[in-house]
Parts: sequence; structure tokens; C-alpha cells
Amino acid sequence: MIEVDGTLKSRLAVWLSVTVTALGALLLVEAYFSSQRAAERAYDSQLESAALTIAEAVQWQEGQPVVEIPAAALQIIATRHQERVFYAVLDAEGRRVSANLDIPIPAEWRTQVAERPVWTNTEHSGAEWRLHGWEFDSAGWETQDPVQIWVGHTLAGRQALTGELFEGAVSRFLVMVLVAGLLMLLAMRVALKPMRRLRQLLRQREADDMRPLDARVPEELRELAETLDTLFARQRESRDALLRFTADASHQLKTPLSGLQSTSELALKSTRPEEWHRALTAVHQGAERTSRLASQLLSLARLRHVADGSGMNRLDLAALLRETVFDWAGRDVAQGHDLGLAELPDTPLYINGEPWALRELLGNLIDNALRYTPPDSVITLGLVKRGGEVELYIEDDGPGVAPEVMERLHQPFERGGRQDTEGSGLGLAIVDSIARRHDARLKVAPHTPCGLRISVSFPLENRP
Amino acid sequence: MMPRYFHAFAFVALLLAAAPGRAANPLVVEAALDREVVAPLLAAFELAHPDIDLDFLDRSTLEVDERVTGAAPAPDVVISSAMPWQMARVNEGYASRLDSAEARAWPEWAKWRDEVFGFTFEPIVMAYRLDLSRHMMPPATHADLHTLLTEQWDLLRGRVTTYSPSQSGVGYTLFQQDARYTTRFWDLVAAMGNAEAVLEANTRDMLEGISEGRYWLGYNLLGSYAMVWAQEHPEVIVQVPQDYSLVMMRMAFIHRDAPHPAAARQFLDFLLSREGQRVIAGETPLFSVRPDVIGPYTAQRLRDQVGDRLYPIPIDASLLAFVDPQRRDAFMQRWRREFMRR
Amino acid sequence: MRLLVVEDDPLIARSLHQALTPLGNTVEGFASHAEAGAALRHDSFDLILLDLGLPDGDGLTLLGELRERGDTTPVLILTARDGIDDRVRGLDLGADDYLAKPFSLAELEARVRALLRRSQQRSDNRLRLGALCFDPALGVASLNDEALELPRRELCLLEDLLLHAGSITPREMLENRLFGFGVVGSNALEVYISRLRKRLKDSGLRIRTFRGLGYRLEEERE
Repeated sequence: MIEVDGTLKSRLAVWLSVTVTALGALLLVEAYFSSQRAAERAYDSQLESAALTIAEAVQWQEGQPVVEIPAAALQIIATRHQERVFYAVLDAEGRRVSANLDIPIPAEWRTQVAERPVWTNTEHSGAEWRLHGWEFDSAGWETQDPVQIWVGHTLAGRQALTGELFEGAVSRFLVMVLVAGLLMLLAMRVALKPMRRLRQLLRQREADDMRPLDARVPEELRELAETLDTLFARQRESRDALLRFTADASHQLKTPLSGLQSTSELALKSTRPEEWHRALTAVHQGAERTSRLASQLLSLARLRHVADGSGMNRLDLAALLRETVFDWAGRDVAQGHDLGLAELPDTPLYINGEPWALRELLGNLIDNALRYTPPDSVITLGLVKRGGEVELYIEDDGPGVAPEVMERLHQPFERGGRQDTEGSGLGLAIVDSIARRHDARLKVAPHTPCGLRISVSFPLENRP
Repeated sequence: MMPRYFHAFAFVALLLAAAPGRAANPLVVEAALDREVVAPLLAAFELAHPDIDLDFLDRSTLEVDERVTGAAPAPDVVISSAMPWQMARVNEGYASRLDSAEARAWPEWAKWRDEVFGFTFEPIVMAYRLDLSRHMMPPATHADLHTLLTEQWDLLRGRVTTYSPSQSGVGYTLFQQDARYTTRFWDLVAAMGNAEAVLEANTRDMLEGISEGRYWLGYNLLGSYAMVWAQEHPEVIVQVPQDYSLVMMRMAFIHRDAPHPAAARQFLDFLLSREGQRVIAGETPLFSVRPDVIGPYTAQRLRDQVGDRLYPIPIDASLLAFVDPQRRDAFMQRWRREFMRR
Repeated sequence: MRLLVVEDDPLIARSLHQALTPLGNTVEGFASHAEAGAALRHDSFDLILLDLGLPDGDGLTLLGELRERGDTTPVLILTARDGIDDRVRGLDLGADDYLAKPFSLAELEARVRALLRRSQQRSDNRLRLGALCFDPALGVASLNDEALELPRRELCLLEDLLLHAGSITPREMLENRLFGFGVVGSNALEVYISRLRKRLKDSGLRIRTFRGLGYRLEEERE
């Protein structure tokens, strides 16, 4: 079941936009503060040069500093944003030698300025001001007192510059995001191209084309391509096996069918009722054999087909054995034999298995025993617990098989070197297949004093 | 005074008288600007805004300046030609911003912070009596004037007049600005002192003196008045200096604490509007600033006539230096020193 | 007896017809579930032979519908499917027996006979096999219409064997019936079986032993 869970594109886009938003927010905050710093620096340096220009104009007359405020200094303070202007020249005692506004300058600022230039913001006449204080030692003929110069202006220019710089940063950022987005789309197209190529390749394949993929893929898709290849290989194998099996099966079916055909053909040519009777008997036997062969082929095919072991569960082998033998003992085919069950252990014997397969296994074992032994033979099934295993056996007192064919018995279409009975030779092959599915060991041995003993040893399932 | 101004004045007076106790939408304008001079402008405003009860108070620059800080209630609009003082008041925060299309469109060089606007354009000129040209080549530049004063000082002694920097803010501003342009200005001051120049408080007195023959030569007169005067008095010749000519502007702002801010904005917008400027150019001796107003008394026409020699006193922070007491003291000291040098 | 055969293969249908008619039955055949279903709604039969894999539907559905209506007619399922799941489901839905294709006609006849006998006994309550008869209501057994005087355990044994006549009766079931759940020697049951065998001697009936599995009461074959 294929469930569509969004698109790679949208997933990438979501991740990218989350990242971009988070980083962008940080970046914009940073950009704002750095714009502010840049604006502050730019305008502070103007205040600095204005203070220097005013300092140039300070002169001493009769022990007092005198300053002819240079018009240029005021223009520098005002900046091109036409800020309101403040200047004050203070003598050593903090008296205002010259000032245009009465913005108060507290004593603490004045002492600070003695140490180093002061930058500060203050509120005056309904506006916020940036103030700069600077002290210098001026040399006059009589005195060498320090003079403090304070300059200041309103903040419109700083705010405007901050806004301007920030706007620039924002628009650069937006352009970057846009370009990044476009590049991402492009990159995604390029990155997903091998995927599209692979898809196209798979679409173009014929339904029965199981050849390995012939495609160039990036490292990330290698695993997928290899998995596909493995899948193709497995399908190829199973198809080949099926073809082989079908060929074998049709060959096997053709043989008895051609027997039926020739027998009936001969009988039709004859006019003698005895011939007809003989032929019909042969036809009946042949039909029986053929139908049995067909059902065996079917179960073999089913065994090969249903290979996933999904039907496995914990079951009591003893109960299953009793039930199956009970079923067979009542059947017509078993009436000529002494088919019985040995004493079973009292406790249940649990194994991990598929009931239908195990019934099939038992059925084939019993069927084989019934077919390959003469009437009135004693056939006994039973269970023996041996350590971690339980051995299921079937023994008979029939003629047995030669030691040299014993090894080959479980191969398909092997009939123990006998052509006289009506078997197909598939029975033990089916038993072998089922045993393998259950991790069980199949063993064929002679039974003393005569006959055959076939045993299948299953691992016990101890889990409660 | 020209008859048309009197007509206009009479018309305004009539208008005011005809509508006593109108709907109370008062507007108080404190102006250092002769009422007769701008009467047509005021009349046009009242015509355009009949709902506003305009109270135009004509005072000296000093009084106007005092009323900015001292008057209670504060005036709505303040107009003055004492540019540095206007500037200082604005810098102190007494102006409120005018946010209107007219204000935004106003030329950058004629406004500051969108708070104060120079709405007239008045070239500073020299004027001489026709008699002068019979004795000497009339001066066309500042240098000519200096040469004349040095070479013909015996003829011109007592016959030269100019602004008194101590009595007139306009005069002081003009001399400061002169001093900024050239250091030879002080030679001129010394020469005027040597010629025993008479210092007057305003342009009209200078013009009257020239007409009456007391003076032969006047320096730094308001060109707007002088040109109109010369039309009425053929013995007076107006000379726009050929080297440079200062240009003074009347500056108007809305008071921060204006009791009627809406009316004040309408008044200022009218001053800056095409209509207001047209009235200034066409019906008053003042020149208009707006470049889109056409007529003989416009900044543009003046530029066309005089060329690039017009130097408007810049409306910027440098004006603030002129009102710095120490700088003023220093300037006045030097003025006196140079004027009395002999 | 009226038999209903639901089978679409004409060869098999004809074989069934030919094999079952001589046993004294009337056989009606349908090749589709729809027809069979319609016939079942109007008519009643003594036995239904039902092929599960028909083109027009699943025989199990038909069976389910039948049982849902409360119809207890015995059903013998015939199918080519060898899946044990179908068999279990069929029996769960109320089928009485199950025969996988290919089957021998002899086997089919035996099953049919057993089913018919059981359905007959349901009406008559007496258990019969050959000359043997047992009336569970009276607790009396008779052989060739002669009362058979039997001890209680032998009578019980006979009843159980008759009840399962034709098929193997599990040994554990007989032991529980005779001896309760107490532990008994493995020979105890055999003792009673041999006693019963002696009584049935020459009656045309015999009890066959299935080693490790149980016993079956059957008619002796010639």
C-alpha cells in the first residue's frame, strides 16, 4: 500500500523556510542594531568634529575664555537632516561661557568629561538629544585652565540613517532569500532528475522484463536501485522456477494422459466387451493417478508460492497427528491396510508450524505408505520426543527400497526405482519441502525387520 | 507710499470694519512686517478664508522676538525679517512642524526642518542720488564702493548712509553675512567710518534721506522697498551690486503653543501657496520665492536680470552663530574699532 | 430420498446422478447458486451436495443463507479447493461433511449413505445398522428384531458405536463414556469390545479396530 506523505519539495521548502525565517529573524535583529550603531558612529563623529571646530575658536581674554562660535561648527552639528543644535562652552568652574540653549549639564557629567569624552542622551524641550562633551586644555597667556565643550543635536538624522541602513539590509536580505529560493527550486529539479530518470526507466519496462537495471544513479539512490535489482533477480528466479516447474508438470501430466488416450483409442477400435472392460479399468486407474498427480503438483506449487511463512503459529503436533490419522483411517483407500497410531505422549508437543502444510505432509506420507505397500501391511505413525526435538515417524512392514535410491527419494518424480505402482514420485518431494519450511530434518531409513521408516524431526517450541 | 497700497489698506480696513464680531475663528499673527506693505496679501487671505478672524500685529523685530517667548497666550504665527533670531527661536523648539503639500514642495534653501519658511525674496542693494553721478562714476560693486569711499571721501563725507548694526537686527545680519564673504568688508567698514557714514535704523529713513538730498549714497538697503521708491522718486537710482548681492527673506513659523493651530496652518499654507506668492509678487513690493509664479517681482525674474550674483542668506544652523552673544559682542567691538579707525 | 446436486461440471453432475439414483434417490441438479437457492426456498430436500466453486458465487454464502433460515437439511460440500480453511469455514457454517475433488464414487456413496441415515434417525430416533437396532429412548437394543440383553457398559458401547456407524469412534470418547475420566488399563476397553464382537458374530456386522485411534462398527463386505 503506497501512502503519499507530502512531497519532497514541500518538505525541503518547509525546512528551508523554517531555517530562513529563524536565521532571517536573527539576521534582521542584528542588522537593525548594526544599522543603529553605524548611524550612531556616523553622527557621533560629526558631533566630535563640531566640538573640535569650536575648540579651535576658543581664545583667552583677560583670564577668561572667549569663543566666537564658528558658523561652520553649527552647520556640522545640524547635519543635513537639519537637527536642532545645542552648544555650550564651559570654563573650569562649570560656568557657561557661551551656550545657545539651557540644556542642563549636571556636575557628574562635567567630572566625567575631565576623564574622557562623554556621549550621552538627554531629554529637553520636548525632544531627545544626543550630547557630546569634550574637555581640552587651552593655553592662554595667563591661564591654562581646561575648557569643556558640549555639543548636541536631536536624533532625526540618526533615526533616518538607521532606517535607511536597515531598509537596505532588509531589501538585500529579501533579494538573497528570493535568489536562494529560486536556486533551491533549480537545485531540487537537478537533484530529483535521477529519480525521474529512474521512474521513466521503470515505466518503460515491459511487464516481463526482469533484466537488471541499466541506469546511472547518484549514491543516494544506489540502495534503491540495488534493491530493485535484487527484486528483479528474485522475480526472475521465481519465474524461471515456475517455468521449469510448469514444464516438468506438463510433462508429468502428459504421460498418464497419453496413456489414457491410447488405452481408450484401442478400446474404441475393439468390439469385444472384455477388452472394453479391461480398458475402462485402466482408464479409471489412469484418471485416478492423474488427478492425484494434479493435486500434488498443485500443493507443490502452493508450497513454493506461499513462501513467507506468515501462517506459522504454535500448535500441538500430537493433536494434529491424531486428527489427521483419524481422518485417513476412515477413508476408503485405507481400508485394505492396517493404518494405526502408536501410543502418543500424554503431554502436548508444541512446535511452530503451518497446520495446512503439516496436514499435507502427513497426508503424503500416509498416501505413499498406502500406495507402496501391499495390502494388509501394517502402517504405524507416532511421535518420539528427543531432547529439543520431536520426531514424527511413519513405518511400514512393506518391501522397503534399495539403499542406493534412498538418498534420491525426496527429489521430485522419483519413485524409488519402481514403475509398478501408481505413484507420481512427488509425495516425498512435497514432504521434503514442507519439512524444510519447518526447519525439520527428513530421514529415510530401512525398518527392521523389513519395510521403510520415514521420520521428520521438528524443533520443539518451548515458548509458552 | 504708493496709492495702490493705500487703496488696498483701505479695502482691508473696510473689510474688517464691515464684519465686526464675526464667527470666532481667530488667528493672531505677530509680524515684523509693515502692515501697509502686505495689506493685499492679508486681504487675499481673508477673502480665501472668510471664517478666520485675522489679527495681524505689526511690530519691530525686537518686540516680535520678545513675544515669541513672553506672550501669553502665545501668538499663532510669527513673522520676522530678523533671520538669526527667528532661527534661534526655532532651534529652541518654539516652532511646530508644518506638514502640508505646500511645505513639502517649498524649496530646500528657503526652509528649515519644515518648521520655518522664508516666504519672501528681498535683494540687498545700493542706492545713490542722481547728483552723485555728476561727480563720480557710481559704484557697481563692493570694491567700487570701497574705492569711491577712499578716493572721494572729502566729497562723500557725511553723505553716505547704511544700517546701524546695533539698532537694526537686519543691518547686523547683513554685515555679519558680508563679513563672512570677504575680509575686505572690514576695509569697507573702515572706509565708511572714515567717510563719516550716517547709520540709520531702517531702509525708509535711508531712502528719505537720499530723496531729500541729505545722503548721496546708501549701502545695504532692502531692494524691495528701494525699487518701489525709485519708481516714485526719479532722483534715486537703485544699484544691485554686480559682484554679489545678498538676499534677505522674511521667515514665518507657527508657534509651538499656538492657540489656533489649524488657522495658523491655513495662514502659513496660504503664504506658501501659489495664490499667496502671486499676491506677494504682484501686489506688494516684496518678491515671491516660488519658481512657478510669473511676474516682475519674483525671485526667478530677479535671477534672470541679475544673474548668479544673488546670495540668499542661507536658512540654516550657521545663522545661529549670529545671535551668539560673545560672537555678537566680538563683531560689534570690531565694527566699532574699524568704523572709528580713522 | 430427494437429493439436490449443485454442480456446474456436467461430467461430475452426470456421474453423481448415475451413482446416486440407483440407491433409491431422486436427484435434482442445478448448475448455478441462483437456481439452487430459488429451488431451496420453495422445496425441501433430504440432502444437498454443494460444490463451493461455482461461477456465480460462493457456495458458502448459499450455505449460510440456508442455515440462517433454520433449514437443517444435511449438506455435503464438494470442492476442488484443498484449502483446509474452506473446510473449516464450511463446517462452521453448518455443513455436515466435506469431500475434496477428486473423490472416488465409492467414498461418495458411503458419505451420502451415512448422512442420509443420520438425517433419517433424526426423525425416527432409533439407531440402526444392518440387523442391529437401538432405541435410545427405551435403552433397548435388538438384533434381527430380537431383544439383545446387554450389561450396561456394553449397551453404552453399542450405542456410541451405532451413533458413529460408518465412521471411527474415537477410543478416548468410548473410555470416557464407559469408565468416566478415571485412569484405566489400556486393555479395559478392548475387553468390552471383544465381548461385543462375540455377540455380533454372524450378524453381518463387525467391529474393526483402528490402532491407537478407535473402533468402527461396519457391515461386513462380501
